[in-house]
Amino acid sequence: MTSTFDRFWTVFAREVRGMVRTRVVFVLLAAVAVITFGVARAGGGPVGGYVPTVVDLLLVVGLLVPAAAFAVGYRAIADATARGEPAVLETYPLSPSTYVAGVYAGRAVALLAVLVVPLAALGVHVATTAGPETTVLASHSGVDSPLLYVRFVALTALLGLVTLAVALALSAAANSRRRAILLGLVGLLFVVGGTDVSVLAALDGGLVGESGLGTVLALFPSGAYRGLVFEHVLYVAFEGRSGFVPTSVALVSLLFWWAGSLSVATLWVGFR
Amino acid sequence: MSDAALSATDVSRTYGDVTALDSVSLTVPADSVTALIGPNGSGKTTLLEVLLGIEPAEGGTVDYADSDALRQVGYLPQRPTFRPGDTVRETAAFYADLVGDDPNRLLARVGLDEVPDRSVEGLSGGMTRLLGIAQALAGDPPVLALDEPASGLDPAMSERIFDVIDSLAAEGRAVLLSSHALALVERTADQVVVIEGGSVAATGSPAELRERTGGPLHETFTDLLADPAAVVAGGGDGS
Repeated sequence: MTSTFDRFWTVFAREVRGMVRTRVVFVLLAAVAVITFGVARAGGGPVGGYVPTVVDLLLVVGLLVPAAAFAVGYRAIADATARGEPAVLETYPLSPSTYVAGVYAGRAVALLAVLVVPLAALGVHVATTAGPETTVLASHSGVDSPLLYVRFVALTALLGLVTLAVALALSAAANSRRRAILLGLVGLLFVVGGTDVSVLAALDGGLVGESGLGTVLALFPSGAYRGLVFEHVLYVAFEGRSGFVPTSVALVSLLFWWAGSLSVATLWVGFR
Repeated sequence: MSDAALSATDVSRTYGDVTALDSVSLTVPADSVTALIGPNGSGKTTLLEVLLGIEPAEGGTVDYADSDALRQVGYLPQRPTFRPGDTVRETAAFYADLVGDDPNRLLARVGLDEVPDRSVEGLSGGMTRLLGIAQALAGDPPVLALDEPASGLDPAMSERIFDVIDSLAAEGRAVLLSSHALALVERTADQVVVIEGGSVAATGSPAELRERTGGPLHETFTDLLADPAAVVAGGGDGS
């Protein structure tokens, strides 16, 4: 007799094994490392400290993370569907939610490795190249600190996990590799550019004024991420700056996209 | 034949204007092999999928006999495909672990225990089918549904597949399969259900069907389809 956790673990372990075997993960890891180190060194951030490094990285990471998340997740369920696996799994005591959770968790481990390992290495690089003032922990505004960099890495990982959930939902909706690629590209464009296009449209249409701009930004994953980085990493280091986006709205937004996407993926898998 | 492991009554299924199944009734006894035969597109695969619950029935009922098994039915799809990069043992272990079974037992049961480390991409069509049967056996379900288990295989491998199927039924399972390999069906099946146009044209043992038309099953099959109404009137009501 197996428990729900046993079945989750079986799916999870297979995903991790599959991701370790595929070269894509190692290529992505190398690409993220080269790009983040290259951008940071070109901007001179590591010499200046953690916050200058985050300033250098923010724009490129905002594009790189969704791209990596979609690369890891766009075929996660579509390939299995194309193989006819859902019909076979339907004869097993494996619920769609357990299956989706196992696939998601397995891919999430790979994605976190792709994102966190290069950023952690860059953090070590900053620690060894920046001045001594960067090594203190920030207890008040105006101080650079490794803690701020850890927050940046954590928020970046959060954006990756949310985007991976969106990629998984789109993968569940696809029934072929070609359709998975198409949906993945549409999803990537939405996550990367959806915030800015929506905000511009809302401003242009008079749907939102300047006072509500932060809230609208926080409604989309990349806007919520950028807002949280400004709010809890960059502005901490600068006196008197805050209120870029409401933190609670940004966190609820990310939770909504994460849980909503995984629910949609579960419904698609169950619907087949 | 023993008690019914699976029975369907007046099962129907349509896709838009196309009637895939029209009030199909059949009984699948335990300890036996029941074969669905019929032309391409006659509804055999749809019937299997409805019986498995993969496709919803729009009318009628499907009943499985009470069982303590964790898995009521094992399924071999028409073209089993496994996760690329995995070995034979890893594939068997994935399905076995979902139901707390032993992958070595499953592989030994179908004769693949000699090649546990071979990649699934390196398997022949017949070995892939055997791995599919091993998957279907995970959790020891009382009913096995096998969709075209020997299609596209050479005669020797087809025979080997049907030998395995025969032995699985002999162990007490109800095996329901669809096939165009009529000679092997005639040799192996205890009951044959002829499907045409989404309906049951005839039901009986190979010997009973042969008696009605006087020839081997492939001739019987053609005769039954040429005049199904006469055969059904002769007692093959499909229920």
